[in-house]
Amino acid sequence: MTQADVHNANEVLGRWLNTNHETRGISECTVARDGDGWSVSLVGVGEDGPIQWPTVRATPLTNVEEEAGQRTMALLATFDLGFMRAETHVRLNKGVFVIVLFVTFLDDSGRANYLNREFLYRQP
Amino acid sequence: MSKPQFAQIYDLVETERIRERDIDRGELVGNWINANPDTTSIARLEVFEASGKLQLHAFAASQAGLIDWGTTTTAVFAAGPASRVGAGFTATFDFGAAEARLQAMIMKGLLVLAQFHLFKDDSKRASYFLREYYAKTHDLFSR
Repeated sequence: MTQADVHNANEVLGRWLNTNHETRGISECTVARDGDGWSVSLVGVGEDGPIQWPTVRATPLTNVEEEAGQRTMALLATFDLGFMRAETHVRLNKGVFVIVLFVTFLDDSGRANYLNREFLYRQP
Repeated sequence: MSKPQFAQIYDLVETERIRERDIDRGELVGNWINANPDTTSIARLEVFEASGKLQLHAFAASQAGLIDWGTTTTAVFAAGPASRVGAGFTATFDFGAAEARLQAMIMKGLLVLAQFHLFKDDSKRASYFLREYYAKTHDLFSR
């Protein structure tokens, strides 16, 4: 089995929107596939409008065990924005698109490195 | 004080400096056992502090007994950019031909561990992930 054979891979493709309309974090995520390559892009909520994060390559991983009666996949992606780095994974759980972010600040702001989760649904 | 850079407004906070050692790891430290006794992956975790760093000692299941993966240093993450409460950690075990990247978070007393297993050899094995749940062992209920 190769990475191109990841189970139910195409289910994660597309544009996903945060279920929480009042989020102060990630408002949307787009997953795309180009041949055997995968990419993920995020949009953050800004003060005056959306903030487009850079599009990054992602590593697909298959789920070898059923979880909650389903088999799905995950993508690993790291966003390096200079002043911060976000190590993320995304996965589907019964139709809900889950993003988990482990954020490390690389600047001198004194902010704590932290983790966060966001839940998204497929754009209708 | 100038406004810190941010890519999501959630990160727009001003705080006194919070270093990794300032984050309370109390909830993370302990001996954790997999809630699934039939796991084929990590069966037990020991999380402890040494030299100011949070360390992770992992043991994987096998038919012949536990396999000692050894100990690695973790990176600790708080519950938010202005929080001093430890909420999880990341760690990596590098076995040469394969690598296990771990992302752990606390949820209602459980340690939820996302495992990303990446193969670096020519075996053509597909990288895979698992999520497993661990309970902290204690003697509260055995008194």
